[in-house]
Amino acid sequence: MNSAREHILGRVRTALRVPAKTPAAPSAAPIFPPVTDLETRFREEFSGLKGEIITDLPAFLSAFPNIASAVPQVAGNATVQQADLGVTGCDCLIARTGSVAVCTRSAGGRALSVLPPVHLVIARRDQIVADLPAALALWQQRYDRHWPSNLCVITGASRTGDIEKILVMGAHGPKRLVLYLES
Amino acid sequence: MTPTAQQFSQAAAAKAVDLRHRAIIQKNIASYDVAVTRSRDRFSDWQNARSKAAAIKWETINHLDRYLEEFERNILANGGHVHWAEDAEQARQIVLTLAQQHGVRKVVKAKSMTTEEIHLNDALTAAGIQPVETDLGEYICQLRNEPPYHIVTPVMHLSKADIGKLFHERFGTPPDAPAEELTMVARRQLRQDFLSADMGITGANFLIADSGMIALTTNEGNGRLTVSLPRIHVAIAGLEKVIPRLSDLGLFWPVLCASGTGQALTSYSTLVGGPRRDGEVDGPSEFHVILLDNGRTKLLANPEMRDVLHCIRCGACLNTCPVYKTIGGHTYATTYQGPIGSVLTPRLRGAEEWSHLSFASSLCGSCTDVCPVRIDLHHHLLHNRRDAIASKFDNPIQRIAFKLWLWTVQSPARYVAAGAIARLGLRLGFTNWFAKPWTATRDLPTAPRQSFRNWWEKVGQASRLSDVKPSTGGTPVQHHP
Repeated sequence: MNSAREHILGRVRTALRVPAKTPAAPSAAPIFPPVTDLETRFREEFSGLKGEIITDLPAFLSAFPNIASAVPQVAGNATVQQADLGVTGCDCLIARTGSVAVCTRSAGGRALSVLPPVHLVIARRDQIVADLPAALALWQQRYDRHWPSNLCVITGASRTGDIEKILVMGAHGPKRLVLYLES
Repeated sequence: MTPTAQQFSQAAAAKAVDLRHRAIIQKNIASYDVAVTRSRDRFSDWQNARSKAAAIKWETINHLDRYLEEFERNILANGGHVHWAEDAEQARQIVLTLAQQHGVRKVVKAKSMTTEEIHLNDALTAAGIQPVETDLGEYICQLRNEPPYHIVTPVMHLSKADIGKLFHERFGTPPDAPAEELTMVARRQLRQDFLSADMGITGANFLIADSGMIALTTNEGNGRLTVSLPRIHVAIAGLEKVIPRLSDLGLFWPVLCASGTGQALTSYSTLVGGPRRDGEVDGPSEFHVILLDNGRTKLLANPEMRDVLHCIRCGACLNTCPVYKTIGGHTYATTYQGPIGSVLTPRLRGAEEWSHLSFASSLCGSCTDVCPVRIDLHHHLLHNRRDAIASKFDNPIQRIAFKLWLWTVQSPARYVAAGAIARLGLRLGFTNWFAKPWTATRDLPTAPRQSFRNWWEKVGQASRLSDVKPSTGGTPVQHHP
């Protein structure tokens, strides 16, 4: 299909010989109000998305017989496909949107954070960043030129509104997203 | 009128008076509107966010060759493959060849309008490969054997009862099962498909040039499973989907989510940058990206229309469009519906067959107002109309009518005479045949005996003059009888 490539790029270059009208320049002003108290904001947003923040880790874990884990704090005894709980770390937590940023390195591959019905994230308080641009910058700084093959900003558990916009949790991914915050 | 235009007219007329359809759409869009208002309020300056998004898209589209080559280079560096497809047939062949090379029997698909555009499912089925749509809405479409009704909300036209009935017939669930039960049935069915599929096919919301990744925006997690479990991942994207930098997602993800579903971010904003790497525990062994032209370079070659390629397929213009809300998504008979579909389709699929869509608009401009990347949609509808008329693809009767109208309004005497004839005609009941398309579903007001012109000369002018005097006892303003 190399000829297709040359044809398409040729058409693109020919097309762009005629310039288009430039749009009005945007202002440099930020588009979001600043996030001040990172942890409070994160907790509000995360809980607003039906995320659960737990404080007693052993008690929570005791409810799950089959655990697959990518973190040293929690012992795993099941494969990803058998697990009823997937435990992962994360790259950072995002205050503005209550999100959890993961990648194949921090979350033990691709499937562990999406296949089991419950996803538990173990994170530290100092991992909370203000917003999405900060999270992307952190990824860039950490991984640029050595990218993991898969990264994801998780904002609440799996959901769908395809039937009359009625919110249903756990469409395909985890029904519950749970966070344990280490100090 | 072409047969396509005729079908459109008939389908639109039928849908416009379908009150059940109207109730379902209004309920759905009302909840969308509430969410969108809330999510735009999260921005301190939504209008500036639109301007920023438009500026980045302008920069990319107007240097598209450079960004596409950069994207390709970085995908290759990340261990992926890039294919270029000039049209739908080439794109289908690339997928089929890959499928045959890998002995693929079953494909799981995450929602992708680009694969709808190239009719990929039909091609896969014909080749003996089973395509399974995994987005709940798309899955329901596939069970009903009908195309998506909306580019973001595929089954917006169905009520819970409709879907309950479908699942009752197919899976034996109670006919009145709640949405949660229906979703769990689909989850169980599709989980088996995820675990047994050989190939995962997705679209891409963005192609990121500087890091060689694709970005996928989903809520259900089907996109993540599609790129995690099968041994090969193929992503198909229009070549206009490229953005320069990973950092641009800090703007585009929230802007897309705010406009698409009214969320701050959808549940899963996913980046795929290649196949499973050394040291990773899972993921496909091959990652392929297909860059699709299929008419897009024709739009690029038209500087007046080039900004149509800024589109991020959020669906906001559909949800705000009074025409879309009245005639419904299927009436368009196109992959892309609503204002963006009416602008795109004549350009991508031929003006002769599809120009009627550009005339199906009130030109209210609401689409342009909501577009997160500031595409001048309603003016593009006018550009399409102008070009259709120049190519004589418009309705010939309409053309004669406009000529007659022009001739009439060019002379005051002819205008007065035409008004008198029209008023007389309306009062004598000529409306029964003359205005039938209008009166079939609406009332026509009774015609006044005198023209506004007459009334103004006799009464209106005098009363206006007295009205501007700063007195309390002036003549009350008379209304035109």
